[in-house]
Amino acid sequence: MVSVFKSSFLQTALIASLLVGAVCAYLGVYVVLRRIVFVGAALAQVSSAGVGLAMLLNRSPLLVSLLFTLGGVAAFSVKSRDRRITQESIIGIGYAVASALAVLFVAKSAQGEAHMLDVLSGNILTVTPCEVWWMAGIGLAAVMLHVLLSKQFLFSMFDSETAQASGIRAGWWDLFFFLVLGIIISLAIRLAGTLLVFAFLVVPAVTGLLLSQRLGRVCTIAVSVSVLASILGLYMSVRMDLPSGPSIAAVLFAMLVIAWVGTKIR
Amino acid sequence: MKGKSVITCDGENKMADCKQKINVLAFENAALGYGKYVVLNGLSLVINEGDFWGIVGPNGVGKTTILKAMLGVLKPLSGQVRRNRNIRFGYVPQRQFIDEVFPLTAFDVVMMGRYSRLGVFARPSSSDREFVMGCLRHVGIEDLASKPYRELSGGQKQRTLIARALAAEPQVMILDEPTNDMDIGSEHAIMELLSRLHREDNITIVMVSHLLNVVVNYVEKLALIDGGIRMVGDTKDVVSSENLSDVYGVPVKVASFDNKMVVLTGGRDGQRF
Repeated sequence: MVSVFKSSFLQTALIASLLVGAVCAYLGVYVVLRRIVFVGAALAQVSSAGVGLAMLLNRSPLLVSLLFTLGGVAAFSVKSRDRRITQESIIGIGYAVASALAVLFVAKSAQGEAHMLDVLSGNILTVTPCEVWWMAGIGLAAVMLHVLLSKQFLFSMFDSETAQASGIRAGWWDLFFFLVLGIIISLAIRLAGTLLVFAFLVVPAVTGLLLSQRLGRVCTIAVSVSVLASILGLYMSVRMDLPSGPSIAAVLFAMLVIAWVGTKIR
Repeated sequence: MKGKSVITCDGENKMADCKQKINVLAFENAALGYGKYVVLNGLSLVINEGDFWGIVGPNGVGKTTILKAMLGVLKPLSGQVRRNRNIRFGYVPQRQFIDEVFPLTAFDVVMMGRYSRLGVFARPSSSDREFVMGCLRHVGIEDLASKPYRELSGGQKQRTLIARALAAEPQVMILDEPTNDMDIGSEHAIMELLSRLHREDNITIVMVSHLLNVVVNYVEKLALIDGGIRMVGDTKDVVSSENLSDVYGVPVKVASFDNKMVVLTGGRDGQRF
């Protein structure tokens, strides 16, 4: 297996996948617990629409997708006061509109539809070391910040009413979490594509929740699963000449199934 | 309205007297609601240190809204809610609103009660951990500390949430429907626990409930809510067949059995008792 990762571009791809996987898997635990899995998908799609617009306007994809994602964060984190419109509906509309915009922008851009596949399924094999450094710096800073402030995030998510009654501004902490999530998603999508980022956000967290009843262990399992799936998935994609993102996602799913079967046998 | 004579503090003419006694919180002609929607109007109520209050009324009249205003989470639309800033509040929400998907133990949940006493970046110390164990012991579930919260029974979950409120070292504890969906054994045990916290630890207690039979035999003061405060005063004065029939709109009979009040509803063939 080691021989497969001897070339420098594969080493860069592996490091990128490990970083995106570890950061998304850690934050994903809170995404799943906060029951905002679909927000992850919608933000990923909004970020893709930003990449599409950047292609059309020939601007920096990272900057435009970040701006789009922050707009998505603002829209999805606000709780509607109109009882006829649920937050879930707003997220669903956001997802549909962003998906359509991404396709429309890319279809009209000079770089054409060739890039569409990269945006949607990602091509971690073409990642540059510079992009990896960005992901490493911001991703690790986001995780460290989250770990340092975990008690506020946790209390606000678990029981926002009591947290607020205790003087913890649950609404602000919620918005802060969405912001961190939005920034990480727009960075990660540039490296791994919407499919893999969404898979890293949800599947390792659910695997962790299947295997443990302690939050710390759930996070550790989720990160470990993402690391293992990155290595196995990339190896599989090189050996079998398969697209990298879907290969890693397939391994993540296989590990989830194994965990589920394990809990049934236990 | 009959029963008006028992009102201690529900008119502007009596607010001057009330102000003298404020030491926990006071509603002064407050209107409470959400956005433009007014749930409760003309609310005046004073809670003093050492009180044991019950807030009762039909479903949907705004009992929980009052609690939110007491906690400072909801600002009044008009009027005032004055809270004593030197007093710490502990809150026990309806346990049905707690999301059990979180992989947390009873200990983890109670530890959240300490968070408000820690700095933004501070981690719980060993003394915080000891304090949390003390709170679990105080409510009788020390042996369940490492058990996942989601695996606890209804009564055990309620004790965990009460222990979490205690972990904040409150002088006032505010509880929302603490005995909802419980069997009579658990119901009795929770009310006895609250009674003990009030009696032995001198904690002021305010609880909302729609279970009249449970509340009336424990609380010392009662507020009957229906669009505003309909009646407020000592429990024994407020709880009468006439007052309850008026507020609930059905025939209600208050009887006494073995020195306890029993609230019965619905006379024969829907007639008054």
